[in-house]
Amino acid sequence: MKRMAAIVRVVELRKSFGPLEVLRGITFDVREGSVLTIIGASGSGKSTLLRCLNYLEQPTSGEVYLDGKPIGFRIEADGRRAPDTAANISRMRAELGMVFQQFNLWPHMTVLENVIEAPIRVKRLARKEAVDLGRRFLSKVNLLDKENEYPARLSGGQQQRVAIARALAMQPKVMLFDEATSALDPELTGEVLEVMRALAKEGTTMLVVTHEMGFAREVSDRAIFLHNGQIEEDGPPARVFSAPTSERCRQFLSKVLH
Amino acid sequence: MLGSLRESLDLTLFWEYRAILLRGLLENVYIFLGGAMLAMILAFAIGVARLSRRWTVRVLSTGYAELFRNTPEYVLLIWVYYVLPVIFSRLLATRFNFSPYAAAILALGASYSGFMSETVRAGILSVPREHTEAAMSLGMSKWMIMRRIIAPQAIRRMLPEALNQFVSLFKATTFVSLIAVEDLMYKVSMITVHEMRPLPLYTGAALVYCAIIVAAAQLIQHLSDRWRRRGWA
Ligand SMILES: Nc1ncnc2c1ncn2[C@@H]1O[C@H](COP(=O)(O)OP(=O)(O)O)[C@@H](O)[C@H]1O
Ligand SMILES: [Mg+2]
Repeated sequence: MKRMAAIVRVVELRKSFGPLEVLRGITFDVREGSVLTIIGASGSGKSTLLRCLNYLEQPTSGEVYLDGKPIGFRIEADGRRAPDTAANISRMRAELGMVFQQFNLWPHMTVLENVIEAPIRVKRLARKEAVDLGRRFLSKVNLLDKENEYPARLSGGQQQRVAIARALAMQPKVMLFDEATSALDPELTGEVLEVMRALAKEGTTMLVVTHEMGFAREVSDRAIFLHNGQIEEDGPPARVFSAPTSERCRQFLSKVLH
Repeated sequence: MLGSLRESLDLTLFWEYRAILLRGLLENVYIFLGGAMLAMILAFAIGVARLSRRWTVRVLSTGYAELFRNTPEYVLLIWVYYVLPVIFSRLLATRFNFSPYAAAILALGASYSGFMSETVRAGILSVPREHTEAAMSLGMSKWMIMRRIIAPQAIRRMLPEALNQFVSLFKATTFVSLIAVEDLMYKVSMITVHEMRPLPLYTGAALVYCAIIVAAAQLIQHLSDRWRRRGWA
């Protein structure tokens, strides 16, 4: 069964910023079609972890594999590790969609232009093809009627949905969500979570950093709790959220839930 | 006395020479265009180099910008026209000369590239790092990100400042008569020698320069407003 294959594989990942060691040996697999939720206090290294996966941060040591291929390095003929070329790194990044807390839409482009930019420039799709594709994903996030608006004229929830459509339009193998709803007013989080829920249902492989515990519990197949740069708790959501073995995880959850 | 003032301000003399003066003015315009083009190309390269991760590149490009920014255009013009050919002649062991036009474009282009590289640098820095990261996460290359994401936003932010620098550059083109480029000022001084009536001629020249700069500034302002209105946050 293909769904059993590990599409993302993280091995002994470490990341330091100068003297500060943020990730201290993280190891986990993500099965294709599954949803992994990453929780943890602010500053525990959740963003850094996601950013190491698509090489926005260069890991200090350890390995990340996407679909069996190493990200950011290759093995030379003599068996040594060498940094990968910029072109290869870009190619790998295109296979990982990322959604940021602050949306990060490009303000000088319309909604549709934001969505079709990478398909045209990176995948070299013809414009017409890209527009069809872009509209398909915009309708998926319910924003087809806004295609000619500039991002500044949209609400936060709408902007985040455009950002999701923009990532999806590259048809990545895996989607990374870094606190996709944390910058939104409470009444706007629902529409974004709705889109994410639908993606999870369709079998999109997702790594989700979130503080929306109800949502996480509902959609994820597995949850990990990061503390001090290490995985402190790891298991099915029912267990991690209801009966964590780690005292710190319990404390964290009681703080977030109240 | 008032009468003689009125007579000397009578611009009909300026108007009589319009064909010659217009040819002179066109020289200003050509040198402006050449200098502006050169300045923009250099400024972009230097502005990007000043943000390089390599410190040698940063130091060299910053040194270049400071050198040309702080040398008066006039001195630079003379230096490029009279001194640089001497250096080249020694190095190449042949006679070497710049045409006054080439010297003017080179000197003004280099001088303003120093100012403008600072504007370019600030423009690039004004684009949030997150926009670049979003593009990187979609697999876009460095060059593509510069061209499609950073430059369009940076240029819009640079416009007001760049406009001021273009105006200064146009004003600075009036120095080129000093190295015998036959621009408007050069023609005016030639005609003055004949007519012995400097007042209407120089007043006319001042008014023409002023009118051109005001008109150009209005035009660019109008264009940049229109750009900005296109959904600018
Ligand atoms: N580029 C950076 N340079 C230095 N320190 C950083 C950088 N990025 C993150 N950090 C530090 O790493 C730690 C983890 O940050 P982050 O991964 O953003 O945590 P989280 O997303 O869980 O809130 C924090 O202490 C943060 O200050
Ligand atoms: Mg974070």
